[in-house]
Amino acid sequence: MWANKPETPKTKLRYSVRGKRFQFFDAQGVDELVSINMALAQELWVVKERQATMEAVAAAKGIVLPKEIEDHEFSEDQKEALEAERKVFIDRIFFILREEAEALEDDLDAEPSAPNIP
Amino acid sequence: MTKYVHHELKVKSNKEELARQSFMMGMRTYVLHDMANGMRTAYDAKVEPAFERREGRKPQDGPEVHKALKNETSFRFYSNMRCNAQEMSFRSVLPTIERNVENLNRKAKALSQSTEKAAGSVSINPEFVVPKSVANIDVHLMPGNYDTEYAEDDVTQGAVYDNGISVFSMGFFGDNLDDIGSTLSLYIREKYPDFNPSKILDLGCTIGHNTVPWARTYPDAEVHAIDVAAPALRYGHARAQSQGATVHFHQQSAEAIEFEDESFDMIFSSMFLHEVPKDGIHKAFKEAHRLLKPGGLMLHMELPPNKMLGAYDSFYMDWDAFYNKEPYYKTFRDMDPAEVCLAAGFKDTNFIQHIVPSLGLYGRGAVKEAVKEARTEADENTGRFGDGIMWYSFGAWK
Repeated sequence: MWANKPETPKTKLRYSVRGKRFQFFDAQGVDELVSINMALAQELWVVKERQATMEAVAAAKGIVLPKEIEDHEFSEDQKEALEAERKVFIDRIFFILREEAEALEDDLDAEPSAPNIP
Repeated sequence: MTKYVHHELKVKSNKEELARQSFMMGMRTYVLHDMANGMRTAYDAKVEPAFERREGRKPQDGPEVHKALKNETSFRFYSNMRCNAQEMSFRSVLPTIERNVENLNRKAKALSQSTEKAAGSVSINPEFVVPKSVANIDVHLMPGNYDTEYAEDDVTQGAVYDNGISVFSMGFFGDNLDDIGSTLSLYIREKYPDFNPSKILDLGCTIGHNTVPWARTYPDAEVHAIDVAAPALRYGHARAQSQGATVHFHQQSAEAIEFEDESFDMIFSSMFLHEVPKDGIHKAFKEAHRLLKPGGLMLHMELPPNKMLGAYDSFYMDWDAFYNKEPYYKTFRDMDPAEVCLAAGFKDTNFIQHIVPSLGLYGRGAVKEAVKEARTEADENTGRFGDGIMWYSFGAWK
């Protein structure tokens, strides 16, 4: 099923990049908004690919899809899995905000500097 | 599994993760092709003419182009989205690897110990101090870099790099991510048929993906590879074993190599020098000179130097130094390859450089054709993912 209850990994890996982030846009927050939009586009693509697969599989089985979907009710387990998945989904899209907070946990001056921007 | 990781350390992504990875390949193509072309168009149509009106001449070098472009909307979107696409490519493989850390470490250990397909080795030095240029930065925006360790004898970051570049490279590194090594080893064998190295060393090998082709091209040679990052070396060893290539991996710095004088016939590196501080490059070249037997060859696959490119292409290629957490990239590209070889003790008449078409994209015929052409003029596909790709390399005979 699509909404698999996310498992907690035994070993947690680092997702965010250490150190300073560049701001390309003058207005504060625009860089983050672009990041969030890219994550949204990515998630939308995941759904589109999933839906295309689903429709292809359903069509191959001769199922009339729209009515099946309209009438479907999730079980309690399915609802719980979806809720957990939604939490991960939101965190993935708004990742950039977490990364900025995590970067501040390190010593920013320890990182070798990039050349001065001309 | 990501698209170009087929060996025994491959990990299984679910359908959703695969969709995220394929999206990133599409997104990177869009940024590096469509958006890059859009920025170039804005530069030609608007930015350069404005500069010319103001200064009475065209921009002379990369920094002048950079300065003129940096407030353009196209530059801001290109740069922001390129950073994001880079980070998201690595992030798109992390959940699969995170689920498999224990599995990967188990498999890697078994492969390392197996002598079924190959008889390589890996030696990790517990006293080794990873240099700051690696330890203190997430190079090219890869979370955790090459050296973070999550467990004992950990290979995790090797897997992050392998699967990450599988997404990142969009096919340009070939079906086994070894196009650079495969192309250049074939080229060298064709171009110098009498050169038959019996001992080969790869510097800054990471996961050994470009080391393995040298072992295949010269099957009688003893092949060694060094890097500073233990997880990459362990993973690289297991990877080579699974591919049936005997390679000996060592945790060593290219700046102080622990092998005897005149003990190698060939010293190679790929995409390594541009991540090394300038004094480190000089030291590595002196070490290469010391380690080579007379008649031996030092060869580095690299980004073409700025002196080979026009102002715009210099700016475009140096972008990574400023924004991609590769701070030594521009310093390296500003160096004159022939002069660095000369300073390390190589004779200027022994300097060589080549531009070779990718084996994966253009085939063996094109590589063999390039041997005859001996091309040394860079174009916009040299060392960069464009409409195609050509690999630049330089070095010297001792």
